[in-house]
Amino acid sequence: MALTQTDVRGIADYARIALEGDELEQMTAYLNDAVDMLAPVLDYDLPDVEPTFHPIGDLANVMREDEELAGRGLPLDVALSNAGSVRDRSFRVPSILGEGGDR
Amino acid sequence: MAANFDTLTAAQIAAGIAAGDFTAREVTQASLDAIAAREDAVQAFLQVSPELALATADRIDTDRAAGKPLPPLAGVPLAIKDNMNLVGTRTTCASRMLGNYESVYTATCVQRMLDAGCVPVGKANMDEFAFGSSTESSAFHPTNNPWDTDRIPGGSSGGSAAAVAAGEVPLALGSDTGGSIRQPAALCGVVGLKPTYGAVSRYGVVAFGSSLDQVGPFGRTVEDVALAMNALVGAGRDPYDGTSQDCAVDFCEHLNDSIEGRRVGIIPAFMEAEGLTPEVRAAVEGAAKQLEAQGAQLVEVDLPHLDAAIAAYYVIGPAEAFSNLARFDGIRYGYQEPDCPNLDTQSSLSRAHGFGAEAKRRQLLGAYLLSSGVYDKYYYAAQKARTLITADYAAAYEKCDVILMPSSPRTAWKHGEISDPTQMYLSDLYTISINIAGNGGVSVPLGLGAESHLPVAALVGPAFKDRTLLMFARALERGFADAATGAPALTVAPDFAGKGGELA
Repeated sequence: MALTQTDVRGIADYARIALEGDELEQMTAYLNDAVDMLAPVLDYDLPDVEPTFHPIGDLANVMREDEELAGRGLPLDVALSNAGSVRDRSFRVPSILGEGGDR
Repeated sequence: MAANFDTLTAAQIAAGIAAGDFTAREVTQASLDAIAAREDAVQAFLQVSPELALATADRIDTDRAAGKPLPPLAGVPLAIKDNMNLVGTRTTCASRMLGNYESVYTATCVQRMLDAGCVPVGKANMDEFAFGSSTESSAFHPTNNPWDTDRIPGGSSGGSAAAVAAGEVPLALGSDTGGSIRQPAALCGVVGLKPTYGAVSRYGVVAFGSSLDQVGPFGRTVEDVALAMNALVGAGRDPYDGTSQDCAVDFCEHLNDSIEGRRVGIIPAFMEAEGLTPEVRAAVEGAAKQLEAQGAQLVEVDLPHLDAAIAAYYVIGPAEAFSNLARFDGIRYGYQEPDCPNLDTQSSLSRAHGFGAEAKRRQLLGAYLLSSGVYDKYYYAAQKARTLITADYAAAYEKCDVILMPSSPRTAWKHGEISDPTQMYLSDLYTISINIAGNGGVSVPLGLGAESHLPVAALVGPAFKDRTLLMFARALERGFADAATGAPALTVAPDFAGKGGELA
C-alpha cells in the first residue's frame, strides 16, 4: 500500500526533519518510488537463511580498561568550539519541554 | 629541469625529492600553482590549504637537509575527501550542516598518509555526506569531469578523482560505501581502489553506512595506489576503530608478478545487463582478451543472487545512514537554527535547513525502513540477501582469483542529465554488491570509449586479497600502456595537462 502524506509526515517527525513548502509532496512521491525499487529484497525473507548484519562476522564490541589516556580527550575549549551556542563550560540548548524558551 | 609536476607519479616525486632533483617545497608550490590555474574549470576542491601544505613540505626539506631518512611518500601532494578530519582544515562533508566545522582531530587514514610524507594540499568536493554518484549533491558547487567539463566526475568521491585526473595532485583519498571510489575513478580515467572492508581505519571519517564504508586511494598509476595502501595499512590495525583488521602487507612486493595461469572470472549476466553501453562492454571484453594474452585463464562464474544487490543496498545503506546522521542535532556541532522555542523545534529545523535534498531523502527512507513493522519486512530480508550474495562471491572465488566486470555501465554523463534519484541509484549496478559482501575492488582505466571518447574502466573484485587485486590491476595497466613509452592508457586529462605547475 502506498505511503500517504500523513504517513510521511509521521516519518519526518520521527526523523526530526521538518518538511516545508512542497517537500511533503516531493518526499511522499520519492519514498513510494524508492520503496517500489526495494521490492526485490522481499523475496529474500527466507526461513532457512541467517541474516548477515556485518561483513566481519565475529566482530565484537571493543572494550578497553577504564583509565584516563593522556591526550585522548578533547580540551574543553576545543570540544565547545564547533557548537552553535555555549555558556561557560556547557553546550547551550533551549527548553526541552513546552514552549518555555530560554531560561 | 623545467618539467611540469603533473608528468610525475607519486613514486617519481618521492624519489626525486630524496635524490635532491627538486625540493618538497618546489613540488608543493607546483601543485598549488596547478590548482590555481586549473581549479576554475574543474572545481575539485572545497578548501585548499597552502599554509598547511607548505609547512609540511618545509619540514620534509629540513629533515632531508639534516640527513634524516625520508618516509616513502615524502613530498607527495595529497587531496583528501572532505569527510575526513584533518586538524587545520574544515571537514564539511559538502554539507551546509557542517559548513563551518573545524576538524578537532585528525583521521587515522589521513595521519598515516602524513606519516608517510604526503603533503595535504586540500579537501576535495563530494556528494553531500557521500550520498550520490555524481558529486552534484554537494551543497557548495558541482565538480566538473576533467575529460569534458560539461560532464559529472562521478561520485561520491568526485572531487578526489577529478583532482587526480586534472593533474592537480598525484594522489587522493576517497571513501566507498557503494562505489564512491571505483565509479568516479572510472569516469575520470584514474585508478581507484576500494580495499577489503576493515583494511583501512575509518576513525575520523564521517560515517555513512557503518557496515559498508571503506577508505581507499586514487592515483594515476597502480604503483602509486599500492604505495598509498602501504601507507594506509602498514602500521597495522587501528585500536580506535573496532572494525579495523590487521592486514599489513607490502602492496608493491608482487605488483609486477605474472598472471600466467591465474584465473579471471567473467559473469555472463553482467555483460548482458540492461544499461551497459556497447563501448563499455567492448572495452571490458578487450580487457579480458588482454589478460588472456598475458596467460590468464578466463572462466565463467555466476552470482545468482545479484538481482537483489541494489535493493539490499538501498535498505542497508539508508538505514545505517539514518542512524549515523542522527548525531547532527545542531547542538554540539553543525548548523543550529536560531531563536527556537524548544529543543524539538531546534533539532527539526536545524536538520531541515542544514541537510540538502538527497541527505533528507536517504534519512527519511532509513527512518521508514527502521520503523516498527517495516523493519522486520525489509531490513531482515536485506541482511539475508547479504548472506546469499556473500556466499555467491565465496563460491565464485573457488573458481577464480579475480572477477572482471565494468566499473560503471556507461561513461560520464552531463550535469543534470539524471535528475531522478532512483534512476541515479541504478548506476551503481556493478559496484554495490562488493560493498555488501565486504570484498575489495579496483577500477583501472582502459583508455577512451570508442563512441563517447570518454574514459572507460574495468573493475576486478576479489575475495579479501587486495594485493592480488592490484597485481591484476597492474597487468591490465601494463596491457593497455603506450607501447613506446610504457605510460598508462590515460594520464592527465589533455585540457589540463601542463597548465600551471612547472617545477622550477
